[in-house]
Amino acid sequence: MAAGNGLAMAQDAGTAPDLAQFPRNETLIIHNPEGVIRNPAWFNNWVIGSGAGLSNGLHNLTTDTFWFIDPNAGIEGASENAIYNSLADDLWQYNEDFTEMTVKLKQGIYWSDGNEFTADDVVFTVEKHKATPGLAQNGAYNAQVETVEAVDPYTVRFTLKGPNSRFHTLFAIRWGGAWIMSKAHFENVEDILAFNNDPPVSLGPYTLHSFDPNGTWYIWQRREDWQRTALGMIGEPKPKFIIYRNNISPDARLIEMRNGNLDMVHDLSPEATFSVLQQDPQVTGWFPGFPYAHPDPTLVMAIFNLKKPLFEDKRVRWALALMLDARAMSMASYRGAATLSAISVPPTGTHPRDYHAPLQEFLTNYEIDTGSRTIKPYDPDVGIQIADMVRGQFPDAPTDETDIRNAFGYGWWKQDIQAAEELLTSAGFTKNGNQWMMPDGQPFRFSVMVPTDGVVNRLGSIIAQLWSQNGIGAELEAASDTWDRQRVGNYDVNISWAVESWGGHPDLSFFLDSYHSEYIRPLGESQPDRNWMRWEDPRLDEIIEKVRASDFNDPVGIEYGHEFVKLHLEEMPNIPIMSYNVFSVQSNRYWTGWPSINNPYANPVTNWSNGRFIFTQITPVES
Amino acid sequence: MRGYLWFVGKRLLQLLAVIFCGISATFIVTHLSPIDPVEQVLGRLSGRSNLPPAAIEATRQALTEMYGTNEPILQQYINFWLRLVRGDLGPSLLAFPTPAMELVWRAMPWTLGLLVTSTLFTFIIGNLMGALAGYNPNNRFFKAFGIFSMSIQPIPYYIVAFILLIVFAYFIPIFPASGGFAMDVRPGLTWPFISSVLQHAVLPGVSLVLVGFGGWFLGMRALVSNVVTEDYVTYAELAGVDKKTIVGGYVIRNATLPQLTALAMALGGVFSGTVITEQVFNYPGIGTLLIDAVNWGDYSLVLAVSTVSITAVAAAIFIVDLLYPLLDPRVRAE
Repeated sequence: MAAGNGLAMAQDAGTAPDLAQFPRNETLIIHNPEGVIRNPAWFNNWVIGSGAGLSNGLHNLTTDTFWFIDPNAGIEGASENAIYNSLADDLWQYNEDFTEMTVKLKQGIYWSDGNEFTADDVVFTVEKHKATPGLAQNGAYNAQVETVEAVDPYTVRFTLKGPNSRFHTLFAIRWGGAWIMSKAHFENVEDILAFNNDPPVSLGPYTLHSFDPNGTWYIWQRREDWQRTALGMIGEPKPKFIIYRNNISPDARLIEMRNGNLDMVHDLSPEATFSVLQQDPQVTGWFPGFPYAHPDPTLVMAIFNLKKPLFEDKRVRWALALMLDARAMSMASYRGAATLSAISVPPTGTHPRDYHAPLQEFLTNYEIDTGSRTIKPYDPDVGIQIADMVRGQFPDAPTDETDIRNAFGYGWWKQDIQAAEELLTSAGFTKNGNQWMMPDGQPFRFSVMVPTDGVVNRLGSIIAQLWSQNGIGAELEAASDTWDRQRVGNYDVNISWAVESWGGHPDLSFFLDSYHSEYIRPLGESQPDRNWMRWEDPRLDEIIEKVRASDFNDPVGIEYGHEFVKLHLEEMPNIPIMSYNVFSVQSNRYWTGWPSINNPYANPVTNWSNGRFIFTQITPVES
Repeated sequence: MRGYLWFVGKRLLQLLAVIFCGISATFIVTHLSPIDPVEQVLGRLSGRSNLPPAAIEATRQALTEMYGTNEPILQQYINFWLRLVRGDLGPSLLAFPTPAMELVWRAMPWTLGLLVTSTLFTFIIGNLMGALAGYNPNNRFFKAFGIFSMSIQPIPYYIVAFILLIVFAYFIPIFPASGGFAMDVRPGLTWPFISSVLQHAVLPGVSLVLVGFGGWFLGMRALVSNVVTEDYVTYAELAGVDKKTIVGGYVIRNATLPQLTALAMALGGVFSGTVITEQVFNYPGIGTLLIDAVNWGDYSLVLAVSTVSITAVAAAIFIVDLLYPLLDPRVRAE
């Protein structure tokens, strides 16, 4: 454990690295967005809230579990439908009623201490977690697993507490998840919650080389026997050394990348990204031209608190949607670099293929009865309009229609104030001067909660402004505790993301399962993740139950997904707006072969553990 | 002597009362914060993996019990003081189960090293130049220095810091852009480490000195301008007392007294760190630790930093109070 006396080294042994031993053609330097890591010598990532670094290389390079699902397409030949078999030798095998899951494990995988990885490690992990509150998956295993057994050294069988067709997703890594522990390493630890695991025993192809006792950098070294790891079986991780640097301010990130001290930057502001890409031809983003950013498989929305009478009428919700101007929102939030989505599925990864493109005709012909007339509110060309708007400043914005749709989205709603007013009128609202009044005669007023800074803050500002301009008493409220408040329903409208998906896989259960009405909590109590709006609908339950009863890879899941999208459109419980775009950039100065829209084999955002696959694909630039 | 001891005793009681009230107020404020550390941890956990709602609820209960946030606030307050008198501020909630004070002591040397040095430096430079400028109001050099001080004083600190960063870490990259020391040195009392620390401290240090000395300069110049009109200074000049003696022994000594109080408070305040400096230069100090603690709702850590800070400021003022009678005969007479 780190000594607590000022400058004492957190490492009890070893010497600080001589940077000369890190030639740049063998060394990759990555920006980790974590701030100062407060518990730098803590590598026990199974303990919750330990203050340890996670995306400092620990969960990128040393951890492993059964499967990975990539938010993008995955490496061709190594993954199928973006699913990688990592520690597992094949996909999950359920019994007929999804009460048992059997996993076949790969053979020939070894921990860095020389012990072989076997089913005993899995059994130990699950049982240790079940017995220890305070470990990350304690709740998950106790809620879902009756028993776990090693059928043989390379086969594990889980007996579940009830039918659960998505149990395997606990071990399917999208960002992070249920990592496997080493039985040999942990079984004799007396108090696992106080065990710092320094140095960590690695199941990945890298081990800890050294780290900063003040928690601002970590250096990892490739194992001699990297072939004996799941990632090594996919390909050789090319960097011999990987350095993760954190606590770097946005300005310093730019400086460090330009000075050759960073190869991958997790994120920048849109403006900083535009600047560095225009000034440095060696720096690249996800798209070859504007908007550059990587669209994360998340969806930023205007989330109504449906437990408040203000928003109980779907005509009101639709009216508020039709008051918004997609172009203004895109420009205000991302300076035009937004990837719009009119439906409640992120416009990222393979979702355009499975959802956005197939639903275009439905959306284009989608009709709403305003009470006075029927309108078709969808504008399939709004992305093209935004591309035209930004092309003056960014000549490298795409011109090909498919490229535009990938970068700017497939379309959004037309701003139609007249239709919005007709909808409000049909809902019993009246206008007093420029102020809309509710049916009970009270002014239609509410707050729009946003985080204190960032693109979501900017987006919320323009949304509140657009509503205010059209007679809605929308007041912007920047809050530092949005997370806490959205959980207990302490908001009117919340600008946040309520949807996250796999990205590379069409299954929507990642967010959709928690929309089931069995999880609805009254205001004041913590609502389980993602259904912040507390949307409750028996038709929604029906769709979710059908998804639960189907196999993860059954194509029928896409049909259910389409049903969900259409029900969501009918009800508009929240207004989907855009994916959360991350302005990740990479430098080709020392390394090349980065993932991009033209070769979307992985997510370039550096704090995702999925990023490990990048290391097998990049190559050093020989000087 | 008995009078002085009575004075010391009274001041000591005041000191303890200030510390008690300050720490209690911090306790109340932090516990009124809407940010729940349990929800912060859950948010990070559930956002990263596919956890069913039942799992999240079970985890919430486990964390609430571990952190002790399920107890009534009065019970938490009593437990806090019972621990504090034993020197224990409990575990940090953002680095559980690491003791909060361990995080404080890890960050403190960086903050103290940078801020004590820069504060003393700005105090000496600012007051010395201010005193000379006040005594020589028509000197061209001091006039120019005064204009420079007044010009730099209104510039927001972060602008100065950012300009220094861009100029000396990017355009003329002679200083590191971030951090406390280089990757290839090991902390210890060795020249490579010390020189690396100094090199990394130059930009943040210079930024603090640049924006800090102006206040001392202008304050001292105003004080000296008043002191030089005093009868005893005129008398000394007419009596032919050596100029150095007049400036050093009469003018600066008397004008410095109020500045010493400000210095004591400034030195006490260094224990709170300087957030903007640490953010701009990614310096590993107490300021960003405090910000992290607030954002996470880490009551224990906020209280640990605040306890150190409140105690330091109160102690600094206490020491100045004790020294004043020894330095100023007028106070001694009172």
